[in-house]
Amino acid sequence: MKARHECQPIRHTLPPHEILGREGLERLHKASSRILSELGVEFQDEEALEILRAHGARVENGIARFEPRLVEEWVARAPRQFVQRARNPRHDVTLGGGQTIFAPVYGPPFVLDLEGRRRSSTLEDFQNFVRLASRTPVIHHTGGAIVEPTDLPVETRHLDMLLNLIRLSDKPFMGSVTSPGHAADSVAMAEILFGKDGIRERPALLALINANSPRRFDGRMLGALKVYARARQAVVITPFLLQGAMSPVTLAGALAQQNAEVLAGIVLTQMIEPGAPAVYGSFLTTIDFRSGQPIFGSPESQVGTLASAQLARHHGLPFRGGGAFTSSKLPDAQAAAESVMSLLPALTSHASFVLHAAGWLENGLVASYEKFALDCEILEAMHHWSRGLDLCDDALAMDSITEVPPGGQHLETEHTLRHFRKGFRGTGLFDYASFESWSKEGGLDARARAGSRIRELLRDDQPPPLDRATEKELASFVTRRKESPG
Amino acid sequence: MSDLQQLYTAVLDGNARASKAIVEQALAEGADPQVLVTQYMIPAMDEVGRRFESNEYFVPELLISARAMKTALQIITPLLTAKGAQPIARVAIGTVKGDLHDIGKNLVSAMLEGGGFQVLDCGVDVAAEKFIEAIKTKQANVVALSALLTTTMPMMKTTIEAFKTAGVRGQIKVIIGGAPVTQKYAEEIGADGYADNASSAVTLARSLVSK
Repeated sequence: MKARHECQPIRHTLPPHEILGREGLERLHKASSRILSELGVEFQDEEALEILRAHGARVENGIARFEPRLVEEWVARAPRQFVQRARNPRHDVTLGGGQTIFAPVYGPPFVLDLEGRRRSSTLEDFQNFVRLASRTPVIHHTGGAIVEPTDLPVETRHLDMLLNLIRLSDKPFMGSVTSPGHAADSVAMAEILFGKDGIRERPALLALINANSPRRFDGRMLGALKVYARARQAVVITPFLLQGAMSPVTLAGALAQQNAEVLAGIVLTQMIEPGAPAVYGSFLTTIDFRSGQPIFGSPESQVGTLASAQLARHHGLPFRGGGAFTSSKLPDAQAAAESVMSLLPALTSHASFVLHAAGWLENGLVASYEKFALDCEILEAMHHWSRGLDLCDDALAMDSITEVPPGGQHLETEHTLRHFRKGFRGTGLFDYASFESWSKEGGLDARARAGSRIRELLRDDQPPPLDRATEKELASFVTRRKESPG
Repeated sequence: MSDLQQLYTAVLDGNARASKAIVEQALAEGADPQVLVTQYMIPAMDEVGRRFESNEYFVPELLISARAMKTALQIITPLLTAKGAQPIARVAIGTVKGDLHDIGKNLVSAMLEGGGFQVLDCGVDVAAEKFIEAIKTKQANVVALSALLTTTMPMMKTTIEAFKTAGVRGQIKVIIGGAPVTQKYAEEIGADGYADNASSAVTLARSLVSK
C-alpha cells in the first residue's frame, strides 16, 4: 500500500466548458425572473415569510414574490468564494474561485457490501466510509450522511454521525439537516471543535438545503436553513428536480425553475445573515416514464450540469453539481460509463463542490464499497486531466528530441528520467499489465480488484489524532443530548 | 581498498559514471574482476529486477541500471575472457524478417547485457540466415526473436524451421516475445520459452541456459 499522500482540490487551468451563449443565458434568466416575480415560491415557515416580507418581497398566502432588482441586490451579498475549515488546516477547502472539491455519496439507506449483499446500512458501514474518505487523497471532503446508520434510533442518529465524522477523519464535513434541532446540534459540535468565533470567521459546516420542488421550501428545511445561516455556516441550496415530475420535462424549463428556486433560497439566507456563505446547487435529472423511476446518469442531466454551472457563475456563486451517478444495481460497465459521463461535466464546468463523487449506486439508494474505489480511480484521472497542457521549454523537450536519433528511443533520456513519474499511473486499481501478468495475479476484473483495495484501506485503523480534551467534550455533549434530546 | 558496496549502489541507482569509476579504481587496487561481477554487480541487477517486478522501478530505471552494468562490464569482460572465463551465454537477438519494431527488442537487449549475457544484436528485419551465421560463427547459444505484428509473427515459426533445416536447432535455446505473442504460441511453434517483459526475459534466459 502506498503511503497516504496529500492531494489538493483541483485548481482549474483550462477554461470552463460553457454551452449557453449570451442570448441563451438571457432567455433562461428572463424566464426565471418571471417565475420569481409573477408566480413566486412557497415558504412553509412563518418566520421565513416575515423576514422576506420585511426585506421587500411580496408575501401572500405563504408565497413570496421577488422583483428582479431585489433578487440581484441580495444575491450579490453572498460571497463568490469561501473557505470551509477542516480540523486539519491542510484539508481546508475553498468553494468557488475555480476549484473543484470531491465528496462521497450522501444519503443511501443500503450498502452493497464486499460479500455482494445488498442490505440496510449500519453504523459500522458509516464508520467504514468515513475512514475511506479520510484515507483517500482524491476525496477532499468527508461529506455527511455517506450512508444512513439505520441500526441507530432516528432521534439521535445525527449525533453519532457527527461524532464519527469528526473522530475518524480530519477533512471538512457536512452538518445534519434532518431537523432544526439536529442542525443546532451540528453547530454546537462545530463550536466545540473550532470555537464560537472560529466558525463565524470561516464556516466549519456545509449543509444541504433542498427545495421541495416545484417552487416550495418546506418547514423542516427552512428551520435548518435558519440555524445555519444565523451561525454563518454554509448552505447549499439545491432543488431536487426530476424532469417531467418536479419540473417541466424539457431541460430549458427545468433550468429556469431551478434558477428561480435557488435564488429564492439564497435571497432568504442573505436576508437572515448578509454575507453568509451559500452555494448554488443542482440535482437535476430525468425519470423513466415507463416506470416512474428516476434515472441517474442520463445525458440530459449532464447537459443540465453544464448549464447550471454557467448560471451559478453568472450569479457569482459557488456551484454544487454532478457526481458519479448511475442507475445500475451493480458496480458494472453501466455504472462506470454513467459515472464518467456524469463526473466529466462537473469537472469541465468547474463545479465547486461535487457531492456523490464516489460510492453512488442504484439511484443513490445504495452505497457500494467497490464502486467507491472505482470512482476514486476516475477522480484521480480527473486531477491529471484538469492540469491541461504545459507548454514551457522543458515540456517541449527540444533537448530530448535533439538527443535521440531517428528511430531511436526516449526511454532512458535524462529528460524522460526527470519526468516520467509525474505521468498518470492511477492508484493501481485499473489494470495495465500484460495478459500473462494479469493472469498470474488471478485474472481479476476491476470490481474484484476494487474489493481488495477497500479491504486494504480498511485494515489500517489509525484515525487522525484528535486533541483528547476536545474529544471528551464532544463525547459528553453527545451523551447529554442523548439523555435529553431536544 | 575502495568500498565495493558503492558499486552495488551505482548499478542499482543507474549511475554509469560511478560504476565505471569504481570498477577502474577497484581493478587498479587489485580486486578480482570475477568477485566484482558476482558479488556486487549481479546482486544489484537482481535487486533491480525485484524492484521492477514489485512496481518500485519502472522501465527507464531498469534501462539506466542496465547501462551502468554494461559500462562496468565493458571494462571487466576483456579481463575475464583473457582468463578463459565464459559469459553466461551468447544471445543473438533481433526482430524477425518483415518486422521493424525494435523498442521491445532493445529493452530485452539492454536487460540481458545488464544480466551478464553477451548480446549479439542482429538488428531489425533479420532473416533466418543471419541468425544461423551468428550461431555458427559467433557461438550464439540463445536466439531471441521479437515480433510486434500478427503478420510477422508466423516468421518466428519459419525461422525456427530454418534452424532445424540448417542443423543448428539442437545447439541453441530459442526465446520469443512481442505484444501478440503468447506462451501458447511459443509452445505451438516449438520455441523453448516466452517472456512478457524485459525483466522476465532475463530470468527466462538464465533458467534455460542453466538446464
